[in-house]
Amino acid sequence: MIIWLLLLLTGSTPPITHTVEIRGMEFHPAVLTAAVGDTIVWINRDIVPHTATGAGKGRWDTGQLGQGAMGRYVPQHAGTARYSCTLHPTMHGKLIIH
Amino acid sequence: MLAIALTLALTSALQAQAPAPDLSDPEVAHVAVTANRIDIDMAKLAQTHTRNGAVRQFAATMITDHTAVNSQAAALTTKLGVTPKDNAVSQSLQTGATQARASLDALHGAAFDRAYMDREIAYHQAVLDAIDQLLIPTTENAELRTLLVDVRPAIATHLEHAKQLRSQLGAPARTGK
Repeated sequence: MIIWLLLLLTGSTPPITHTVEIRGMEFHPAVLTAAVGDTIVWINRDIVPHTATGAGKGRWDTGQLGQGAMGRYVPQHAGTARYSCTLHPTMHGKLIIH
Repeated sequence: MLAIALTLALTSALQAQAPAPDLSDPEVAHVAVTANRIDIDMAKLAQTHTRNGAVRQFAATMITDHTAVNSQAAALTTKLGVTPKDNAVSQSLQTGATQARASLDALHGAAFDRAYMDREIAYHQAVLDAIDQLLIPTTENAELRTLLVDVRPAIATHLEHAKQLRSQLGAPARTGK
């Protein structure tokens, strides 16, 4: 209750977890909006392995995710972050961090 | 030339089954496993012949992905008690692959890269056609059919990746003929 009131007063919300499913060789959703400090989880539903790998500065990488495996990323800065699968460069996704 | 030879091999394999393709499930499983193994072997050849980092990475992905698919296929056939059965389509695939491999093996450097990527484009397109026109329609077991449906997007992505990479390699391949 106290924490809730503090959050209400400061206007911020607690970090939450977002899930991106990788299936059919696509990221679902392909565009995800999240807040700084939220956790983004990718779960691979495909037979073949994938990665979610950020482009540009501050490059991040879930590493190779086999079937059923999960990878995480917690963005620390606001902005738009494009990412792809390094194994399948035609697969793209985008994070909008606020 | 390689691409044409490979497409012809798969097309003739499809036509050999016309007008009503009728493979049993053990034969479908054999075709699927053979198709994956052929591309793994070709990728291993590429890794010994290319000096191009992007082509090497593509070949590594082919090995990883087609190995994963074959592992899944092996697990499913074991679960179903199905023993993959050799057949005319598998044999046609293997014959085409042997010919393609002999031609590719004689090439090196940029000429190899272009010919290999041409071959990968033709092969993945032909495999997609085979999945759509032959394998899925003829498969009776629902789990085996689901596996084929699940694999299809990976083949389509490989095809797109191959086209993208080939467009960066420049002039048409020369096979010396």
